[in-house]
Amino acid sequence: MTVASSTRSTSRSGKDSAAAQSRRLLVQHSVLPGFGLTMGVTLLYLSLIVIIPLSATFLKAATGGWLYFWHTVTEPRALASYRLSFGASLIGALVNTVIGFVVAWVLVRYPFPGKRILDAIVDLPFALPTAVAGITLTTVLSAHGWIGRYLAPLGIKAVFSPLGVVIALTFIGLPFVVRTVQPVLQVLDPELEEAAASLGAGRWQTFIRVISPELWPALLTGFALAFARAIGEYGSVVFISGNMPMRTEITPLLIITKLEQYDYAGATAIGVVMLVISFALLFIINALQWWSGKRYA
Amino acid sequence: MSIEVRNITKIFGEFAALKDVSLKVPSGELVALLGPSGSGKTTLLRVIAGLEIPDQGVVLFDAQDATARSARDRRVGFVFQHYALFRHMTVFENVAFGLRVKPPHERPSAAKIFKRVHELLALVQLERLAQRYPSQLSGGQRQRVALARALAVQPKVLLLDEPFGALDAKVRQELRRWLRRLHDDIGITSVFVTHDQDEALEVADRVVILHEGRVEQEGSPEDVYEHPASPFVYRFLGNVNLFHGRVEGSKIHLGEFSMDAPADMGKETIPAVAYARPHLLDIDHHQPTGRPHFRATIAHINAAGAIVKIELTTDSGAIVNVEMPHERYRHLQLRKGVIVFVSVKDMKVFAQAQSTLGAGI
Repeated sequence: MTVASSTRSTSRSGKDSAAAQSRRLLVQHSVLPGFGLTMGVTLLYLSLIVIIPLSATFLKAATGGWLYFWHTVTEPRALASYRLSFGASLIGALVNTVIGFVVAWVLVRYPFPGKRILDAIVDLPFALPTAVAGITLTTVLSAHGWIGRYLAPLGIKAVFSPLGVVIALTFIGLPFVVRTVQPVLQVLDPELEEAAASLGAGRWQTFIRVISPELWPALLTGFALAFARAIGEYGSVVFISGNMPMRTEITPLLIITKLEQYDYAGATAIGVVMLVISFALLFIINALQWWSGKRYA
Repeated sequence: MSIEVRNITKIFGEFAALKDVSLKVPSGELVALLGPSGSGKTTLLRVIAGLEIPDQGVVLFDAQDATARSARDRRVGFVFQHYALFRHMTVFENVAFGLRVKPPHERPSAAKIFKRVHELLALVQLERLAQRYPSQLSGGQRQRVALARALAVQPKVLLLDEPFGALDAKVRQELRRWLRRLHDDIGITSVFVTHDQDEALEVADRVVILHEGRVEQEGSPEDVYEHPASPFVYRFLGNVNLFHGRVEGSKIHLGEFSMDAPADMGKETIPAVAYARPHLLDIDHHQPTGRPHFRATIAHINAAGAIVKIELTTDSGAIVNVEMPHERYRHLQLRKGVIVFVSVKDMKVFAQAQSTLGAGI
């Protein structure tokens, strides 16, 4: 089909041949039929679900005027909330990347009794309503709770503190890393490790030089998902953080506060800032993945 | 370095992969472990490499017990069927891997590593591709990289698990001759696993035939081909026509025809199986004298190739395959549907109890 259209285009005017060329650019990768239909559905769906609502956010944020926008998004309370939201999400995602990898490793590599139960438990943070998670964590970690009573004498304040926010965001992000790393570990060829061993590499060298490069893309994906999820998290944090402005107030809560005050332009302005930062971060992570993948894919 | 395994038994769950296997590989020899899938040949190779721990038995390198040594400490080069190349490393980095993971006091300098890797890549004729990634290479090239990688650490023994199994026929042919030459050049004790009898007979100094976890026979390629120790070996080492029958007194009755039984078969009536390779049968238009023979109809002729392959149907409906040179085929002017006489030039008779009895006719 491509061949036919290109030979025809030579006999036509330059404009037509340009059209044929751009058409060829669109379809040349597709051997399977249905490119037009599936691409149409994809674009329509993404427009309705993602792009249109997000564009509306930008439009709404603009209604207050540029000066008001700038004032809202740079006031100290907002800046403090960005720091907490992105900082705690980053710490939570990093912790999950390390611990989630260990959990996935154990679940894939070793047979042990109760493995299936452990495997199912990993998904609980997915399924639990986040408010329930927040209340439970707050109860357990408070100064009189099961765990909190041992932390309190050590001077560790795990609720109504930034630490509490980190704990909640770690809790909800764990499954993302485990579930992205697990399948990659499962299909990792044991022969690679055997080859490394027969060449004289120790366990640690094999892990660093052979296994970890295979896992990087999955770990990055898991990290990005856990991070993105944590940035948007609201339900579990509001209970454990105590919501003290400047100290334990996360950005989503600040948005809710503004909405309750009928300050729609202010709420969407902060929303836009979150959106832009999140998008930039996810874009960087994707670029990293592309870069690490393109070398040998 | 010589290899010896003694009384190795390896059981996976309910399945005994190796049953009391003993084997010696003298220093510098190229030995093939030949057998069908599930015969335990790969397991034996992995036991030698230290990638599998035997349930019983010992592995000796140069008469020293190496059973407890890990794969890492055995200094064995292992080449995997599916190459097991590190796909995030270039060809150069793959080959250099074994040198770079050495402990700091043994590790060669970067310049020496560079030199050694390029020597090896020259040896496997891949110098130009040093900066490629494995995904950019063909199967044969990947296997040669795997070989260079295994040789980089100067192993005492080279073990190859179905090294050409995943390659197409032409590349296989080239690579196995190349492997033979390479072995002659560097003289490293090598063991390779294969299920392809041609490969084993063509390349190896000695062939070890495994069947259901036991060594069925071992010897030089000529030896095992000319003097198979069991019906299994005979069947496995090439195409074969099989005749069921019984020995009665000094005669053996094989349905279509009878002939003199081997002298040492005893006087009792026992069931027996006779095997004849297709090139040990001949075709005539007239009833031959002096040779056992039977009547058959030509069912199919395949004259494309170095020899002519003819499929015939006997009067009782059994199928017999005959191979003959082109001159003989042209001389006889055979056509499909013609009734001819098939005579037996040589045949091997085994009593059903699987004891070996030679039978020249």
